[in-house]
Amino acid sequence: MGKAALLIIALSVLAWEGRAAEHWPDPDWASTSAPISPALQALEAYAFAPRDGHGREGVRTDALLVIHDGRIVYERYVAPTSAQTRHLTWSISKSVLATVLGVAYGQGRFNLQDPVARYYAPMQAHPMVRIEDLLHWASGLEWQEDYEYAPLNSSVVAMLYTRGRADMAAYAASGARAVAPGERFLYSSGDSNLLAAALRGMVGSDDYAWQALFQPLGITQATWERDARGTLVGSSYLYLSARDLARIGLLMLRDGRWQGQPLLPPEWVAFNRQPFTTASTAPGEATPGGHWWLNAAVAGRTRPWPDAPAETFAALGHWGQALYVLPAQKLVIVRYADDRDGRYQHNELLKRALAAFAGEQP
Amino acid sequence: MKRGFLALLIIACTWAGWHREALLAFPGVLSAYSAKEYCSCRYVMAFPVEYCRAYVQQYLPLSTLRDEPSLHLVSATGLGRSNRAAWQGPREGCRLLP
Repeated sequence: MGKAALLIIALSVLAWEGRAAEHWPDPDWASTSAPISPALQALEAYAFAPRDGHGREGVRTDALLVIHDGRIVYERYVAPTSAQTRHLTWSISKSVLATVLGVAYGQGRFNLQDPVARYYAPMQAHPMVRIEDLLHWASGLEWQEDYEYAPLNSSVVAMLYTRGRADMAAYAASGARAVAPGERFLYSSGDSNLLAAALRGMVGSDDYAWQALFQPLGITQATWERDARGTLVGSSYLYLSARDLARIGLLMLRDGRWQGQPLLPPEWVAFNRQPFTTASTAPGEATPGGHWWLNAAVAGRTRPWPDAPAETFAALGHWGQALYVLPAQKLVIVRYADDRDGRYQHNELLKRALAAFAGEQP
Repeated sequence: MKRGFLALLIIACTWAGWHREALLAFPGVLSAYSAKEYCSCRYVMAFPVEYCRAYVQQYLPLSTLRDEPSLHLVSATGLGRSNRAAWQGPREGCRLLP
C-alpha cells in the first residue's frame, strides 16, 4: 500500500516535471536565437534573395519564423511585414478552418459521415456529400480552381470577386455533380467554403472560431473576412501574425494538446494527417489529407518533398504562404511571402531549414 | 474566304454563348479584386499606400483606385466596371459592397 502510494507520487512528479519542461507561448513565445552557421546562411540566401525593385520575380519571403520544441529559434521579417503584421494566409485558412472544425468535432457537434445538407440546407441539392468528402476536397462537384491560366472560367475568381461573392457557399453548392462524392480529389476552394457554411450551421455563432480556437491558443489579433452573408471565407481570407500562426502549428505538432489540455481529439489530428487514399496528384504536389497537406508518398511515387521526412505536414497558401510541421524534429516553420512566380520550392526551403535547425546534412 | 469567316463567327458566337455568364461577369474581376485586396492590404495588414498600390497591380491597368481613409472605403474602376470594398472591423476585415 505504502509502496503503491509512493509509486503514484513518484509518477505524478515525473509527469508534472515532463510537462513543466515543455515550452508553450504563454503569453508570448520564449526565444533563443540559433548561432549563425553556414547552414543558416544557406537558408537565408535562399529565402531572402535580393529583390529587384520593379519586377516580382523569384523567391520573395516576407517572414520566416522557426519554432523548435515550443521556442523561437529564428525569426526574420522583410518590411513592411513585421512581427505585428496580420499577414494574409490565403489557403492556409482552409487548414485552420479544419482545426476549428476539430474543436467542434471534439464537442460532439458532428460526425465525419454526416451529410453536409444536415448543417447547410442548399446542399440538399447534393444529399450524398458528407463532411468527410469536403475535408478531402472530394465533393464531386464541378470546380475550376486555376486562376492564373484560366481566369475566365475560374470558379474561385467568380466565387471571390463576382458571381459568388455575396454567398460563396451557395455559389459552390450550385455547381453540377461531376463524379460521385468521395471518388476523386479535386482541389476546390468551394468545398472549403461549404465547410465554413456547415460549421456555421452546426454552432450557430459568428464568433465560434475565436471562442473555440483563437482564444484558447492566446491568439488575440486574428482577422477572418466574411462574405456578404456573414459566412467566413474559409477558403482564403484569414489573417494572422507569423507568431500566431505558429501557435496553430504547435497545437498540431503536439497532437491537438494545448498546455496539457486536449483541445482537439487525437483522432481528429490523425484524420488530418491521413492521406486521402484515392488522391492522385501531380508529381511534386503535396498529398491531400483531411484539409491539411502531407509529404506522404502515394501510389508508389516518391514523396512530394524528398528532402523532408515523410511525416512532414503543412498548411499551404497562394503566393508561397506555408506553415510546416516536422514532428520528429519538433519544428514548426511559418513562411509568409509574396511569390508571384512558381520559383519557390517547398523542398528547397525544408532541406535548408533541416540543415540549419535539425543538424541534418543537405 | 467568306464562308471561312462565317464559320469562325459561328464558332465564336457558340463559344460566347456557352460562356455567357462567365464573359458577362469577367470585366468586373479587375475592379473587384483591386478594391478588395487594396482595402485588406491597407486596413488589415496595415501596409503603406505605395506598397499596396504595387501589391494589387495587374497587367491590365485600372482607370481609378480611390481610398477614403475616413470611411475605410476603397473604390476601383477598370474595364468599364466599378467596385467598392469597405473595412468592417478588426475581426471582419474588408468586404466587397453589393
